[in-house]
Amino acid sequence: MEDRPLDVSELTKTYRRSFGMKSHHAVDSVSFRVAPGEILGFLGPNGAGKTTTIKCILGLLRPTSGSASLWGLRPADPRVRARIGYVPENPDYEDSFTPMEFLRLFASMRGLDAGDAGLRRLLARVGLQGWESSRIRGFSKGMRQRLSLALALQSAPDLLIMDEPTGGLDPIARKEFRDIMLEERARGAAIFLSSHLLSEVETVCDRAVILSRGRKVREGALSDLLANEDRHRIVHLPPGGSSEDRIEETVDSSGLQDRIDAIRQSGGRILEVRPAFRSLEEVFLSAMGGDRG
Amino acid sequence: MRRSPLPVFLLAASALLMASCRGVDYDIAEVASPDYTGLEDDHDDGHGDQDHDVLEGPGSEEEAAGDLHLHETGVRNHGTVWFFNQPWAASFIWVKIVRDSVVLLALACVVQVVSRPRRLRRHDP
Amino acid sequence: MRTTLAFAGMTLRSLLRRRTIYGILIVILLALSGIGQVPSFGVEGESTFIVDFGLFGLEIGAMLLAIGLASNIYPRDREQRTAMPLLAVPLSRGQYLGGRFLGAALVQAAALLLSVLGLMAILAIHGYAVPGDLVPAAFLLVVEGWFLLAVVFFFSFWTSPPLNAPLTLLLFIVSQMSVLQFVSLVPTAPGLMRTLRLILPHMDVFRIKDPIAHDFAVPDVYFLLAAFYGLAYTAFMLSVALAVFRTRDLK
Repeated sequence: MEDRPLDVSELTKTYRRSFGMKSHHAVDSVSFRVAPGEILGFLGPNGAGKTTTIKCILGLLRPTSGSASLWGLRPADPRVRARIGYVPENPDYEDSFTPMEFLRLFASMRGLDAGDAGLRRLLARVGLQGWESSRIRGFSKGMRQRLSLALALQSAPDLLIMDEPTGGLDPIARKEFRDIMLEERARGAAIFLSSHLLSEVETVCDRAVILSRGRKVREGALSDLLANEDRHRIVHLPPGGSSEDRIEETVDSSGLQDRIDAIRQSGGRILEVRPAFRSLEEVFLSAMGGDRG
Repeated sequence: MRRSPLPVFLLAASALLMASCRGVDYDIAEVASPDYTGLEDDHDDGHGDQDHDVLEGPGSEEEAAGDLHLHETGVRNHGTVWFFNQPWAASFIWVKIVRDSVVLLALACVVQVVSRPRRLRRHDP
Repeated sequence: MRTTLAFAGMTLRSLLRRRTIYGILIVILLALSGIGQVPSFGVEGESTFIVDFGLFGLEIGAMLLAIGLASNIYPRDREQRTAMPLLAVPLSRGQYLGGRFLGAALVQAAALLLSVLGLMAILAIHGYAVPGDLVPAAFLLVVEGWFLLAVVFFFSFWTSPPLNAPLTLLLFIVSQMSVLQFVSLVPTAPGLMRTLRLILPHMDVFRIKDPIAHDFAVPDVYFLLAAFYGLAYTAFMLSVALAVFRTRDLK
């Protein structure tokens, strides 16, 4: 059985400061895994260590300790490079080139058979149709991000690593990016998504890892993270009521049974009882609050 | 993972070759034989340096012309040391150029092999 | 290899579009044309003068090209973050350096060969014969240029561009010195200076302007030996540069 696309184990990156100042742990013993066909959300406030973690995964930074392995291999292995796509935060490219030139060059560097028709379809997929032969110099930030996505998707990667891919994009563009992520997941790719946009993570991710001050503070399936076991939701009908009269209410789990009994005693009909869900923002803020001091 | 013996071999070969290096290898003036440099006593008439001085000022031309002497064109002598004491003219140091080139290539290979990132051992998750 | 060559092609295009090379080439050609005007001032041995100073000027031109082309490639890639998408996925560090060097080396070689053609044209315009050894000398000049390019790349991975140029110039100057001249710089430590001189490149190997200017035939085998030395030292400098580059974090 093949190793997981991404396996991060006790990853630590420490920056040593000079003149007797304390070292700074940008990433501190972080561990997580990504499976094929899964989207893992990577959350954290500014300075939490998300981009540092990603750079260690890609071999751009050398970890102080721990490891990041892709299919059991180290990041610099050519067999790994052929299978991953990377969308950097705030990407930039040689601005004298056009998107088509860049795609042809990347295809050539990767040993891909780059017919112009396929490249045009790829650019159209990321919303750059009509800009194929325009110099990158005149591109907006959003357009450069679209180009990044095209370059990342070019090789049909088995692992897509995305660092704030939709920051600065309008809502329509963000939806287009989300749709592409879901298409790639359906294709079987693993996606590692680092994002500030909690709503986006909530929409597309299967699991999430929350980072704070370089340490992992939460990890789990999104449904488990969002489930609020302290509260339950009851959907019921009043006595003699129809489906149009349904009532939804949230009660503390400690009083759940009493409330169910009370509804039944009054003649009402229980339709549904389930754990109440929090928003990801509530989960995130709760995790940050728990990590203060 | 077994380490390749290649860098050790290359380093040892380079060290052996470098043991024959001398700091003056390329300083032809120091290592050349006297018959090469043409600085054997070829001025039997005993004329000294003053005869080769640069002409100074007007009025000295007639006097200097009588003492001025010329050597055969293209011949090594004390006046053309600067010209012939260069690697292109000193064939006896060419083998040292080849030696140093081989040493440099070997060292380049050693540095490459030693600095290459190690492959990750596959491990059970 | 395919990846490195593709990236070299990208580097070639990028350098030609940046126009730095054109400025340096214009300076070189203007200097050569200036040298060609000197005979009109009554200098004796005009053709010797033109060839001697022309080749010297081209050596300086090779150094200027190396600094102009390569000193800012990696620092600019790092500051503008254009290195990240390249080094994250399609390129290893070795392929990055190999591609950048090959692309810059091609541009430099073309510029130098063009400059030598300019020197030949100046000789022809003034009615002097073009020395036959000027052709192999041109290729030796290219090898010397590649060596200096490798030196600039080496410095670029651990110094800033403003420091790269003087360091390269310093290496260029001291590498021309004989052992005795070098030792005389610090006469109190002759052993150390001799050892240092042994390690530093012997750029007098490339010095063939004197015999060419004075119509002395240089043995063909010498051009091969000198080129071999230059290419070997270039390979060594690039391997050390790569070793340094591999230790750098791309923050």
